[in-house]
Amino acid sequence: MKSFLAATHFRKFLGTAMLALLSVFPTALNAADSASELSVQFDVGRAGPRAIESLTERAIVRDYRSAWMSLAEAVESNNGDLLETPFAGDAKRVLHETVISQQRSGLHQRYLNQSHKLEAVFYAPEGDVMELHDTAEYEQQVFDGSKSIQDQHVVVHYVVLMTPSSDRWVVRQLQVVPQF
Amino acid sequence: MNMKMPCLHLTKIGMIGLLAAGLSAISAGQTVEMHVPAALVAGGQASIPTTGSGKATFYLLGPGVSRKSEVNLGDEIRLESQETQNAGAYQAILCADNCQSATFYVSAAEPSGLYFLVHPSRVPVGQSDAVSGVAIPFDQFRNLILSPATVQFQLTAGTAPLLSRPVKTQAGIAWFRTTSGRSAGALQVVASLGSVVARRVVQQVASDPCNLKIEGQRTKTGITVETEPVRDCSGNPVPDGTIVTFTATEQGGKSTVDAPIKQGIARAQISGQGAALVSVASGVVMGKELHIGAQIESRPGGQP
Repeated sequence: MKSFLAATHFRKFLGTAMLALLSVFPTALNAADSASELSVQFDVGRAGPRAIESLTERAIVRDYRSAWMSLAEAVESNNGDLLETPFAGDAKRVLHETVISQQRSGLHQRYLNQSHKLEAVFYAPEGDVMELHDTAEYEQQVFDGSKSIQDQHVVVHYVVLMTPSSDRWVVRQLQVVPQF
Repeated sequence: MNMKMPCLHLTKIGMIGLLAAGLSAISAGQTVEMHVPAALVAGGQASIPTTGSGKATFYLLGPGVSRKSEVNLGDEIRLESQETQNAGAYQAILCADNCQSATFYVSAAEPSGLYFLVHPSRVPVGQSDAVSGVAIPFDQFRNLILSPATVQFQLTAGTAPLLSRPVKTQAGIAWFRTTSGRSAGALQVVASLGSVVARRVVQQVASDPCNLKIEGQRTKTGITVETEPVRDCSGNPVPDGTIVTFTATEQGGKSTVDAPIKQGIARAQISGQGAALVSVASGVVMGKELHIGAQIESRPGGQP
């Protein structure tokens, strides 16, 4: 009887532990998945007139990557709050308008397998603004409610302005052009 | 508006048609065409003509825009000016039995503003490459203008022109860097692009002191020293509040006093009875030294 009770307790403990693991793991796996789907390569060779310090180089990669993760999540979940930290100025305004407009029309988008080839083309003498060219490749899916209306691999050219804020670089302009 | 009309074919096929293949499927359905504008300027209106018959759903996805509307095939789909205000790529998607899409680009309109960043707000005179400015032209909808444009930079100190330079934008940006002027006061910095003008002011202040000279005298309690009016090498008075350091070296040790410039002159009282060598400095600039003799002790009866 004792051993039966012990076995029951053990099974209960195992069940609870499994539930706990299951509740934690999907988030961790999703975070890892979405992180691995987004790569940023940064070329600072053409930057000028100011040279880009290695610390700034790392910060740009970190913050641009973070901005695109937030952007992808915002246009998928239609949650404009996600744009607050990584974006500023006109980029934030336009992306907010996109999210609000998607909410009205019942559309949402998904950006998958993002690859960004980022090149610095201008870094201001005082370091207060940087222009970047991003050749982005991703799979773009468009949904009307739950119905997929578009699924295509796209190559998009973005002209980007980033400026430093108190603790990070923020995207201030994000404008698509046919080519650089 | 110059508009080329690329053509997108949308084949509307019934279920039977879908099961069939190739030409027979196309001949079984109707061919639907959608013509998107090849190029459009921000805030412009446009029409997307369609062919075919029956109902379809039209989607427009672009920067700040997400539209869904029911359309009659064969009619023109109108794009209003508020839908095309943001420069960038727009996707037109037309869904009947299946969906097809086409992309068109909206470019910035005419310049209507300049982001103009000028550094620093306060600069010492005569410093090389000390003043810089970055101008970024935008249109009325705050789109970056990426086509080359010439920005005229003009710097004026008082009535004297310091710089006048046309600079062509590269990737939407024009910039300059120059030496600050020789006289203290407001430096007007202007960037203009056609009728669009942005103005900034940089305060030019005196540079480091030049030829620091002091005079001093012994008093009953020590030494009083003061500078001559403190000026930089261009003759501009060094601003009040600038700290001047006086150091008196005596046989017994060293005394240091920091004094701010007041009305162009810095003064200090240094205690000590012996002969002293007084030096003066401000920032990295050293001035001339001054030797002051020892206090002559007075003896009782008034005899030295």
